[in-house]
Amino acid sequence: MANLSVKICGVTLKNPVIGASGTFGFGREFNELYDIGTLGGVSTKGLTLEPRFGNPVPRIAESRGVILNAVGLQNPGVEHFIEHDLEWLKNTGTCVIANVAGKTLDDYYQICAKLDGKVDMIELNISCPNVKSGGMAFGIKPDTVEEVTRYAKNGAKNTPLIVKLSPNVESIAENARRAELGGADCVSLINTLTGMAIDIERRRPIIANNTGGVSGAGVKPIAVRMVYEVAQAVKIPVIGMGGITCAEDAIEFLMAGASAVQVGTANFTDPFAMPKIIQGLHTWCDKHGVADVNELVGTLQLNEK
Amino acid sequence: MKDYLATVVKNERIAENIYEITFQTEEDVPVRAGQFGDISVGGTHLLRRPIAICKAEGNLVTYCYQIKGEGTQKLKTVRAGEQLNVLMPLGNGFFVEEKEQKVALVGGGVGVFPLISVLRAYGKEKEISAYIGYRNKDAVCGVDEFEKATKFVGVTDDGSWGEKMNSVQAFAKDLQAGNRPDVVLACGPTPMLRALKRLVEEEKLACYVSLEERMGCGIGACLVCVCNLTNGARARVCKDGPVFNVNDVAL
Repeated sequence: MANLSVKICGVTLKNPVIGASGTFGFGREFNELYDIGTLGGVSTKGLTLEPRFGNPVPRIAESRGVILNAVGLQNPGVEHFIEHDLEWLKNTGTCVIANVAGKTLDDYYQICAKLDGKVDMIELNISCPNVKSGGMAFGIKPDTVEEVTRYAKNGAKNTPLIVKLSPNVESIAENARRAELGGADCVSLINTLTGMAIDIERRRPIIANNTGGVSGAGVKPIAVRMVYEVAQAVKIPVIGMGGITCAEDAIEFLMAGASAVQVGTANFTDPFAMPKIIQGLHTWCDKHGVADVNELVGTLQLNEK
Repeated sequence: MKDYLATVVKNERIAENIYEITFQTEEDVPVRAGQFGDISVGGTHLLRRPIAICKAEGNLVTYCYQIKGEGTQKLKTVRAGEQLNVLMPLGNGFFVEEKEQKVALVGGGVGVFPLISVLRAYGKEKEISAYIGYRNKDAVCGVDEFEKATKFVGVTDDGSWGEKMNSVQAFAKDLQAGNRPDVVLACGPTPMLRALKRLVEEEKLACYVSLEERMGCGIGACLVCVCNLTNGARARVCKDGPVFNVNDVAL
């Protein structure tokens, strides 16, 4: 069997497959189905300093090949997470990535400081498209991407900081560069693309929030392209996500330059999607004579035009 | 809960726009009345369809569903012998306590199906009155099941079958006539549940309602299908429900 373990910013993951924030809670529910300690990592539901109630329902809609969601960062607050869930999640043996969001620069500093040294990595959500104060304000312009990263890194002095990038921007590669300049140890992408789905009988958007974040199989080619562009633009590691459904999808992201991947929407379609992807990586590597999954990272060769 | 690769035994129309699908699984599925399953219809549909379990016996589980969109249109075309992934059983379900001998079931629309599971689970030991409302005579279904109740009152919105009234009105009428239950179990459209909530508050009756909401994961992880509680908090319909004490939820 091939080696699937990867090392990102000094943190060793059993394999490159991470549960994406917002689709996996704090892991407890999926752990009723399988041992989540077998996963490379879990990125928690987005945490904020204060508890948040999120958006009104309906919060989800489906369109062919994709879904739209606007949950709006409902979470019990970072203190509650530290007190009630962190120890449990750590004990599963998976790598704990705390996904965090805030309203102000100081929020980002404070929440990172609270989690510093307590979790394996911190993932900065500066790209939630569903709440005004979910960090999107910081995630669009290169200047603010760099600034918020600097504030967060100041809080996360001893913890590797991942900056999760929005695809709803002029240049995701430029934003990645600026995150790197601001002190990011890693970038992850893509967060959801802003979209809308309409109930034509009611002539209203299906989702109460009107717009929602688009994710799922259909967004994969966009995500792969963006991961490739970002991997070319930065020296820090890249975590890729967007529509990954099977091991072959994950391998595309690795070849495009991602050191690890996150899986989100596929967990809804098949709750065993991630264990199957890990198994599929073993199968693919063995079949192709790949002894170490790290050998695949960034091996994409472009066609000559 | 488990993700079963379930074989379709039958899938047929039982009323206007309503279909009944029965799955066979390799092992028995331990289902409690009022629980639901998350059915994968495959193809470009990334979300599963959360549907209430209507009947469960050993390794046979039956769901009834209304054709609403592309997903249920696709489910309708599935034939006996085909296999689908079904994550079940999910949610908390209805509990009827020992001391609650007289049970009233109040259901409307597709909300009548989880109540069939209650009737099947408690029909032998409890005295059950079922007040079931349909849109019109073409929507009437499940009657053979409800007729097994101690008392069955079937009504329609337009009076084309049974009396012209809704299920809450039918229940209220019987309540006035002196048929007072120990507990009320209900499922149906929100306006119906709202009317029922007012009635049971006035009458000081214990009441549990099964709610419906658009879902993501179906197991409580994604926080998509929340409902508002009267204490200001939010609960997950899929995991904390779908059955709630009517006093606890803001409808």
